[in-house]
Amino acid sequence: MAMASLRREGRRFATPLISPQPINPLRSSISPAEDQAFLGVRSISTQIVRNRMRSVRNIQKITKAMKMVAASKLRAIQTRAENSRGLWQPFTALLGDTPSVDVKKNVIVTISSDKGLCGGINSTSVKISRALHKLNSGPDKESKYVVLGEKAKAQLLRDSKKDIELCLTELQKNPLNYTQVSVIADDVLKNVEYDALRIVFNKFQSVVSFLPTTATVLSPEVVEREAESGGKLGELDSYEIEGGETKSEVLQNLTEFQFSCVMFNAVLENACSEQGARMSAMDSSSRNAGDMLDRLTLTYNRTRQASITTELIEIISGASALEG
Amino acid sequence: MFTILSFKVDMVIVPATTGQMGILPGHTASISELKPGVLSIHDGNDVKKYFVSSGFAFIHSNSVADIMAAEAVPIEQVDPASVQKQFTEFTQKLSSASTDLEKAEAQIRVDVLVALNSALSG
Repeated sequence: MAMASLRREGRRFATPLISPQPINPLRSSISPAEDQAFLGVRSISTQIVRNRMRSVRNIQKITKAMKMVAASKLRAIQTRAENSRGLWQPFTALLGDTPSVDVKKNVIVTISSDKGLCGGINSTSVKISRALHKLNSGPDKESKYVVLGEKAKAQLLRDSKKDIELCLTELQKNPLNYTQVSVIADDVLKNVEYDALRIVFNKFQSVVSFLPTTATVLSPEVVEREAESGGKLGELDSYEIEGGETKSEVLQNLTEFQFSCVMFNAVLENACSEQGARMSAMDSSSRNAGDMLDRLTLTYNRTRQASITTELIEIISGASALEG
Repeated sequence: MFTILSFKVDMVIVPATTGQMGILPGHTASISELKPGVLSIHDGNDVKKYFVSSGFAFIHSNSVADIMAAEAVPIEQVDPASVQKQFTEFTQKLSSASTDLEKAEAQIRVDVLVALNSALSG
């Protein structure tokens, strides 16, 4: 009988411990004080674990939401990027894409994102730009950077500050359109001397795969030089040039138009790759958070059960000590 | 702003800077610069007209023509009233333009609007 009443006592003691086990995080702020008053040091570990669980759960929700947002943005921009591929295909069919061309003045246009949390795509673009820079610096060759996007700017400023000609950020404030890109292309063509423009971007192949690519656009003089020396551009001479006064004028317009078309496609593809990379980064982040949450829940339950057991042992040993 | 249309047609008439140019199968390879005007695609008795802002036309020797334009609008979507209004506005601006740059810009505008006008009427 005594045992039963004491057991009831014990249960009454224990319930304040059990009830504020909140799945509801709002109540946990009140209960730790109660717990501490009853149980002293033992509950601090559950409180800590509970706080950690709450923050990890919030992070999981946030990353899940970011993944959804990135998925919807990707859907919107993907069709545009795929359609814009047709813009530069005729140019490449005509003028060819010759990354191995050897010229004096190279300009490397690096396209990157403004926002982070998108995986490694910006680092790969910067790595390739640096490699191109190294490849194209020699006794009478030089290369300069034109940087689009905050992330590449931050990385390239660190060690190539003097080689950066132009920096453009906040491209995606308004939805990307051709007019904006043609203004940028105009800016670059006017202010930077070049023989070859190498545009470095991430080509969007699928939601999980992005290929770092370089597109090469040559200046009109180099096009003429290459046409004379034969090779892919040698066929250029077989085309009659109509319009404009001289061939070089038409060629200049042609290369400028080519540059803006290739830039437009590059910017769209990079934006797609950014959203895709962000989707997979946020996905793995939410999965990690879920794993962490599982581990924390196990720790939490173990700690909780251990403290209940300790409490019961104390009560029961106290009761048996009283008995005899 | 960009659509990829690719089909087999009988004839295409492009507004090259040297005038309207008709392209039939077997045309010699050529690169021509386009000025703002009407692009008409003839397929049998079917004629589709687009107004293009400017661009390039590549004609390859295998009877493939690539037409690249910054903007192309089907002629049905062009609004005649606003064309008229802008025309009067910009001819005025042209006569009152002071710097060379302004004159050039206004001239370009007027040229485009003249082409639009003639496209709508003819």
